[in-house]
Amino acid sequence: MRPFDYYRPEVFEEAFRWLLLPEKKVLPLAGATDLIPMVRDGLWQPDVVVDIKGLPGMGDLVVTEEGLRVGAAVRMTELVHHPLVNSTPWNLLAQAAAAMGNEQIRNRATLGGNLCTASPAADSAPALLTLEAQALIRGPEGERRVPIASFFVGPRKTVLQKGELLVGVLIPALPEGTAGTYVKLSRRKAGDLAIVGVAALASPRNGGYEWRLALGAVAPTPIRAPEAEAALNAGHDAAAIERAMHCAFDACCPIDDVRASAAYRRAMVGRITQRAIEGVLERLS
Amino acid sequence: MLHEITLNINGEPYPVVVKSHYTLARVLREQLGLTGTKIGCENGECGACTVLLDGAPVNSCLVLAVEAEGHEIETVESLSRGGDLHPLQKAFIEHNAIQCGFCTPGMLMSSKALLARNPHPTEEEVREALVGNLCRCTGYVRIVDAVLDVGSPVLEAES
Repeated sequence: MRPFDYYRPEVFEEAFRWLLLPEKKVLPLAGATDLIPMVRDGLWQPDVVVDIKGLPGMGDLVVTEEGLRVGAAVRMTELVHHPLVNSTPWNLLAQAAAAMGNEQIRNRATLGGNLCTASPAADSAPALLTLEAQALIRGPEGERRVPIASFFVGPRKTVLQKGELLVGVLIPALPEGTAGTYVKLSRRKAGDLAIVGVAALASPRNGGYEWRLALGAVAPTPIRAPEAEAALNAGHDAAAIERAMHCAFDACCPIDDVRASAAYRRAMVGRITQRAIEGVLERLS
Repeated sequence: MLHEITLNINGEPYPVVVKSHYTLARVLREQLGLTGTKIGCENGECGACTVLLDGAPVNSCLVLAVEAEGHEIETVESLSRGGDLHPLQKAFIEHNAIQCGFCTPGMLMSSKALLARNPHPTEEEVREALVGNLCRCTGYVRIVDAVLDVGSPVLEAES
């Protein structure tokens, strides 16, 4: 593995100093489960890595007036088991975290890392899209918030500018009676990346439900499927679910890769959407 | 860049000087001679390098040695003390849950962590806990049987 220097700052000012080192390739390090294989394969060639796990607030998992705040360095295993995340409706995030990787990976991998790696197949992304989370970003100039829907700009690309760090996400509170599910199709039952991942969420509104759907691994970034949501908002009978499946099919633009062909992904996205919707309906009843 | 650190491994302090980019797996094997931990894929897929970090199984090939400072590391060498095999090791032998043995240290450490948090796992739970440990010889059945066979009171007495 190509050598690099390692720093673990405890204050943001120092982290930004390292991140903005001139003429050096500097990468933030969180769980390292993506970074180490990428460096080993020569795809990333950092001169310096900055471990962000010692920075204030990075490990937070707290409820504020605005909702649930999850620090960027919170590990997947923590999300799976933490009582705050498991409480409805945020448990959609716990489901997504449980679907990711395997036990060893989840014990190291962080939510921030899963988002910043920005794989189109990131399991946490569809969940956070339907939860309408905000990305909390901090840079030398201050803090800014970006809706998760705008955070991803392409495969492995985010809105983060040089020197900026994702410090966490903020998940707004949702009405009581909200239910969500994450359904993942992969080559084996566990321990693989998604071929298709679908998050569905329904919140009580005006005597009916407001639906949100998000698709992973079937477009350059994880995406919402607004037409499919609209199809369900009028009522989620069998015909509406059928329409939502077709809308999800129309919303996706997958690629061929080692895990599945684009055609297979397209063929499956409707069915996985149906399963996610039915999963929500089971939880609502 | 060099880091002068102390790693807490199997209850013992190990002062060691590591390079920034050295993984825990590499330092365990090459600098500390703890070669029970195996290095397989170096990609977090195979689990041969599984060790416990503060009781939780991790791939030591995906942890920088410098990151492991201040944490309790347990390797397969911790299982048998004074010549007595750990109940899991005995069960693996009794069930012939080993062929080439390369995956065994990782299997044992993942199993130990499972039984510590869930002394009576179902077959499904054992399989779930071992998703990140690949075996290319035995087909898993005997490994799963061995883990299921280990009685919880023995482990509780040990911890």
